[in-house]
Amino acid sequence: MQVVAANNGYWEKRVAAWVSRPHTERFSDILPQLHAFHFRNNPSYHPFAKSNCVAEDVADWRSIPCVPQDAFKHADLRSFPEKETIKTFHTSGTTGEGFGRHHFRTLEVYEAAVREGWKLAGLSGGPFLVIAPHPDEAPHSSLSHMLATIAAREDFIARGGRIDLARLQATAQAVCLVGTALGFLRLFEEMQAHGMRCRLPAGSTALETGGYKGSGRDIARADLYAMFADHLGIEPDNIFNEYGMTELSSQFYARGPRGLHRGPPWAQAVVADPVTLREVDEGGTGILLVYDAANVGSVVGIRTRDLAVRRGDAFELLGRDPAALPRGCSRSADEWLTR
Amino acid sequence: MSDFLGRTTAEDLLQWVEAELGERETLDRWIAHGAARTKAVPPENILHVVSGNTPHAALQSLIGGLLLGSGNLLKLPRGGIPEVDDFISRLPADLAAKITIGEELRDEWIARAAAVVVYGSDETVAALRAKVPFGKLFIGHGHKASAGIVWEDEGFASCAGAARDASRFDQQGCLSPRAFYVREARPGFARAYAETLAAGMETFSRAHPRKPLEIAEKAEIADLRAAYTFRATGDLRVAIWAGGPELDWTVVYEEDPWFPSATPSRVVFVKPLPADLAAALGPHSAHLGAIGLWPCTEELADRFSALGASRFCPIGRMQDPPWIWHNGGVARLASLVKWVDFEA
Repeated sequence: MQVVAANNGYWEKRVAAWVSRPHTERFSDILPQLHAFHFRNNPSYHPFAKSNCVAEDVADWRSIPCVPQDAFKHADLRSFPEKETIKTFHTSGTTGEGFGRHHFRTLEVYEAAVREGWKLAGLSGGPFLVIAPHPDEAPHSSLSHMLATIAAREDFIARGGRIDLARLQATAQAVCLVGTALGFLRLFEEMQAHGMRCRLPAGSTALETGGYKGSGRDIARADLYAMFADHLGIEPDNIFNEYGMTELSSQFYARGPRGLHRGPPWAQAVVADPVTLREVDEGGTGILLVYDAANVGSVVGIRTRDLAVRRGDAFELLGRDPAALPRGCSRSADEWLTR
Repeated sequence: MSDFLGRTTAEDLLQWVEAELGERETLDRWIAHGAARTKAVPPENILHVVSGNTPHAALQSLIGGLLLGSGNLLKLPRGGIPEVDDFISRLPADLAAKITIGEELRDEWIARAAAVVVYGSDETVAALRAKVPFGKLFIGHGHKASAGIVWEDEGFASCAGAARDASRFDQQGCLSPRAFYVREARPGFARAYAETLAAGMETFSRAHPRKPLEIAEKAEIADLRAAYTFRATGDLRVAIWAGGPELDWTVVYEEDPWFPSATPSRVVFVKPLPADLAAALGPHSAHLGAIGLWPCTEELADRFSALGASRFCPIGRMQDPPWIWHNGGVARLASLVKWVDFEA
């Protein structure tokens, strides 16, 4: 195995290059090396790996231990010196439970993963209209930063929590509408309140993300997509769902109301038995373990709280188990829209 | 049935009537009421809307209705409650005839009922309150959570009872303690209490194995264990004890006093008792059901009465409320009757 002794930016550069040219490296080669790098350089990860009886060298990326999502609330999962931190994203959190922090020494890999993952998923290259908090209003939101990586800052049409309906109505060319599921629900409610219905130009698409965690609302994906068709004239098959989280740097996308989620070549999702952590059989239900090579500055294996069904090389997202804590990007955006 | 309702005699039920309505015959004849006389008149029909968490609430509510002599419309959760069917099948025909059960809430039931008693989430209670016309009696039992306080227990005498309270009904009931707050009689005492409680959880689990878990429940417990195991690796203020191949039980010791938002099946927290328990309970104090105490003294109940719980009882008996229990601070029979006075 290649040994890189110092955290000199080698891995950021190598992964960023890989993300831009996915055929140049193999996931199964890179992941064990990133684990070894984190094992040596991440003081919170080292004891965790050892407590899981995992040493610096692993032969198979599936043996890399997955850090529970909750750990980002309590531990400094940083694979570089604290003083080199240039950005920290926060999870939305809940009162008394605290929020998670994901630190970055560079956003080069993160932004490359966002852009290239977007392209590989077949998502639109723009123009965009974004219904989510502007990065200036939510400087710690990874979702806002991710969307600002794709869209221009002036494309955010819900500044101050007010959706600019006139901007939406004035759209003359096919557009990609991007936002949180709760933001879109609010948009549809506002359109209804104003007696407004619009047909966006042919070829328009949408991407929704964030779910309904903790909002007290729960709308089936098919029903939400039917509302897009009804209010905006966007066909359900032209709507994408994004699965991502603050603790990750890469995203998984599904197209249409029944689409399965797939990730880019540098991220793999494994549907695993929650107790044994062994991958379930095809069609089986389990928790999602996500291995994300773009998480160069933290840890590559994340044990999420989401349930999914294994479907070939993709997964069918079932979402967070019902009793888990209310949190989520969409929820904080909804609070922002109602303030 | 006696496993979760306790052994009940006719005398117990008569004492319940007497405790709440003043005399045992109050429902049957005029009784003295100052210079006048009075009689308790029950609602002709009571609509009980019950949740599926535990069979307790459904049966206690139903038995109260039968005791009053009312007709009972019982809206069960989807899938029903087998213990309720079992109970009704054992009733004499004339009593069973006073019960109508169903899994759909029909508007016609609301129209027929003079009183509506609802057990469920705050959202369910609020939604039903909005449906019940003004003038009908409405009693809502929303979300509740419970806790234990160990003030003094050098010999860990309360641990077996604490394990029983935390294990029975798999943290589903409003009387299930999510956390035991343990006064640090000496440094490390609360942690030692947690370790002894863990042994008690194991003993209880062997004697009373839990039914198999659904995948979502498994995921929730496994995730909690993974999260606290991670924390315990580098933080001495956290410790975890976990038993059984099927996620049988879990005890978490955590110095952070914050009351847990949720505890999955047979998971319980132990925390040092903070100086300001009300602050630690935060928004949960508005939903506090019972506090188990050790020792259970009036002085301690008075000390913690401002927390908002409507029941203090010894640790070990949290899951065994007596019939005369004021659930949610409500006298369950007295709140349903209408007093009719007679002045000669």
